[in-house]
Amino acid sequence: MKRFIAAIAAAGVLYSFAASAQTYPVKSIVMIVPFAAGGPTDIIARFVGDHMSRTLGQQVVIENVVGAGGTTGITRAATSPPDGYTIMMGHMGTHGAAPALYPGLKYDPTAVEAVGMAASTPILIVAKKDFPARDLKEFIAYAKANAGKINQAHAGIGAVSQITCALLNSQLGINPTAVPYSGTGPALNDLMSGQIDYMCDQIVNLVEQIKAGNIRAFGIASPARSPALPDVPTTIEGGLPEYQVQAWNAVFAPHGTPKDIVARLNDALGKALADDVTRNRLLGLGAVLPGKAEQTSEALAAFVKAEVARWNAALLKR
Amino acid sequence: MSDQTHSGRGGAKGVLRSSQDFAAGLFLIFIALFALYLGWKLPMGTLRSMGPGMLPISLAFMVGAGGAALVAMSLTTDGEKLTRWSVRGLFFIVASILVFAYTVQTMGLIVAGPASMLVAMMASEDIKWVEGIIFCVLMTVLCSLMFKTLLGLPIPINNLW
Amino acid sequence: MSDLLANLYLGFGVALSLKNLGLCFVGCMVGTLIGVLPGVGPIATIAMLLPITFGIDPTGALIMLAGIYYGAQYGGSTTSILVNIPGEATSVVTCLDGHQMARQGRAGVALGIAAIGSFFAGCVSTIFIAAIGVPLSKVAQLFGPAEYFSLMVMGLVFATVLARGSVLKAICMILLGLLFATVGTDLVTGQERLTLGIQDLSDGIDFAPMAMGMFGFAEIIKNLENVETRDVVQQKIGRLMPNLEEYKQSAWPIIRGTVVGGILGILPGNGAVLGPFASYTLEKKLAKDPSRFGKGAIEGVAGPESANNAGAQTAFIPLLTLGIPPNAVMALMVGAMTIHGIVPGPQVMTKNPELFWGMVASMWVGNAMLVIINLPLIGMWVSLLKVPYRLMFPAIGIFCCIGIYSINNSVNDVVSTAAFSIFGYALVKFGFEPAPMLLGFVLGKLMEEKLRQAMILSRGSFMTFVERPLSAALLAVALIMLIVAVLPSIRAKRDVVFVED
Repeated sequence: MKRFIAAIAAAGVLYSFAASAQTYPVKSIVMIVPFAAGGPTDIIARFVGDHMSRTLGQQVVIENVVGAGGTTGITRAATSPPDGYTIMMGHMGTHGAAPALYPGLKYDPTAVEAVGMAASTPILIVAKKDFPARDLKEFIAYAKANAGKINQAHAGIGAVSQITCALLNSQLGINPTAVPYSGTGPALNDLMSGQIDYMCDQIVNLVEQIKAGNIRAFGIASPARSPALPDVPTTIEGGLPEYQVQAWNAVFAPHGTPKDIVARLNDALGKALADDVTRNRLLGLGAVLPGKAEQTSEALAAFVKAEVARWNAALLKR
Repeated sequence: MSDQTHSGRGGAKGVLRSSQDFAAGLFLIFIALFALYLGWKLPMGTLRSMGPGMLPISLAFMVGAGGAALVAMSLTTDGEKLTRWSVRGLFFIVASILVFAYTVQTMGLIVAGPASMLVAMMASEDIKWVEGIIFCVLMTVLCSLMFKTLLGLPIPINNLW
Repeated sequence: MSDLLANLYLGFGVALSLKNLGLCFVGCMVGTLIGVLPGVGPIATIAMLLPITFGIDPTGALIMLAGIYYGAQYGGSTTSILVNIPGEATSVVTCLDGHQMARQGRAGVALGIAAIGSFFAGCVSTIFIAAIGVPLSKVAQLFGPAEYFSLMVMGLVFATVLARGSVLKAICMILLGLLFATVGTDLVTGQERLTLGIQDLSDGIDFAPMAMGMFGFAEIIKNLENVETRDVVQQKIGRLMPNLEEYKQSAWPIIRGTVVGGILGILPGNGAVLGPFASYTLEKKLAKDPSRFGKGAIEGVAGPESANNAGAQTAFIPLLTLGIPPNAVMALMVGAMTIHGIVPGPQVMTKNPELFWGMVASMWVGNAMLVIINLPLIGMWVSLLKVPYRLMFPAIGIFCCIGIYSINNSVNDVVSTAAFSIFGYALVKFGFEPAPMLLGFVLGKLMEEKLRQAMILSRGSFMTFVERPLSAALLAVALIMLIVAVLPSIRAKRDVVFVED
């Protein structure tokens, strides 16, 4: 079986060398998104994919392959022929925390070809309306004093909300009661009704509830405040500067994809991020876009290495 | 699933008064044991924080208990008899699904459609080959138009050439 | 009140624009088509159409996507009635009496009453959303994990009532469904359970392959056993529309179904799935002669179909007023709104009134369109039944295979359908019914999640279920229903033993 896969991979490499940079792409490119259609990662993939299609002259088709915290889809994409016709939208979980969470992981996030960073969405610490604290400092004090009493929600093992809150808890040295939900929606519902005390999640899922006053935000884990929520202080301002975490999304290609094809994809991605319409769409999600220096494949490869190490340290020690 | 076979109700002889219930009970006990075999290592946890094994293991016991109750009932209460399995239908229908599964991605609907339908047709005794083959071709065209052209689903139509 | 009229005026102004009418029509047509095709569901289709909506304004895009969603609910009943294949959990109930009616040559009547019931339910729930959607959305906040669990327990009691035969066998099937629902990754620990090491099972068993195998293919195999009985459907066609007597029989079930389905639809966490089951239970309990149910009782189609459609409409309430999607399709609608720069939340109504009211109005327009599209189609559907069975069953098979495959583009889904066909046929042979098992399966996942959440929140005390008043009330209803449901059937069972047929 292994030899068979190796043969297919080799055939794929040969094929892609035969039909490389000048002609690529000759058919539509499948971008595997390892999460359900309509979620933040999917929407980011659709925005950049839409513009990349125009640069590449071939349709970038989004295929949602859902399961096991995103690792099902990435496994399928990572084991596809490395010919540039199957690429993937990885994210903080699948290419950062997954090695720490899934011991039997069938791909190596640092071994797949890094194409480029797409967009990140900042993480917020939010609590129920009547949480007895006025700011992040009081929140931390209360959480530490009542760690046995308070409940924290998350959207399942491997979800952004689970990983990022695990990081927060480990930095605060607390071990609250974690209540798992199957998705952000139901978790948010119980946070709004007050059964849950706090959670962490991406800004796009929370922004409207915060504006409506249904929940309260104690800090945003990014270097600067978000234009979508200018009143929410950063964790640096709030006194927890070490809590800096973003749900990043980046494009990868299977291991062995020729360098010139990776370069073409990176170029198309860069053009998408430079396009005003695409930019505004992404900024509308509350996303943060990478600067020129962070857009290179090399920068992403180095970043992924750092992320894997970071999450290994944060998630395995507990 | 509608009309139960009405043969032999109440007419059973011997210890078994409903061979259908008896077999049904054994079937459930078998499933329960299989689930227990797969899941007995899962931690049960406590009521405060239930482990992954709590529900599967307790449900398996309940299913097993239900099976035991059916077996007991089959010895005391008259019921239906087990009827003969339609091996031909079962075999060809299941085969037709598998033929579809293993040809659609590699060769496309152009092969998977007719092949799967022809295998399915063999399940029936009154198969008419000429009519069947024409029907398969028409259906395959119709399906490609409907699923691919109209709905735009990413189903492979022709991967042969 | 004048506010409401002004808002509706605004909404209809938006919905009745030529472009939006067109998009609504396209949505309803596509929805009907994918609803009729077994397996192909609204999720795959809406995801497929998301890129197309880039070019349309958000209101138009959402009107079209919403049309696909309720059009699919609508079309699903056609397949359930004609060929006994439930495309979704909500149409399982329609199979029970709807397909029996078709076998008796009353397919047209069943389709007709389903269309009319759905239309009525759609109209009422649209008004519902417009008038009291906002206050109603508060109901969702009353439902914490404990309340949900109790609601699910109540739902399981419905399942015993669904059974036509032995109550013991129905209970066994529910338990089996619950057991099947535990397959997959554990939500709390991430550990794999009962998966046999198969990666596709790590997210649990999928509903569609299971339903298609146990209903569609098992039914085909069973029909093939017996050449004489299988063509029964073809020989009688009968009337295409219900007569006055049948309208009278169906009027109250439609009204009750609308209310029950509409209320359950508001609950986030897919309460809508309980609607048809609840309505069926209600009608069977209220009927003078409950034994007609499962043998082609028109109330068993009219009530659940109305509940189904009412729930499909009111499921928009938590989405539009709270920004919390109650099910996977609604989560996709959130995505569609986000793509267009509208983040769903409590402020959509004030910030984008033309979107909110336009969508509400378009639901009414869409329901009217669905009736107009579907009533003339009934004749066509019914005449499809004249196709000889030797050609019909391979056609059903290929539709199911393509449909299953297209859900995830997964070969393994098709293979698991084959496994469930064998399993389903075995169940038939052992005298089990698949409907209670499917309900147990659908509720099982949610039930375990809510049970464990409630126990974590209560720090391990079962008292939480009776201390919280709403939860206690739901459990009490469940208990009463169980007594009412089980006692007579135990007695009836005894009667059957003595009265030979």
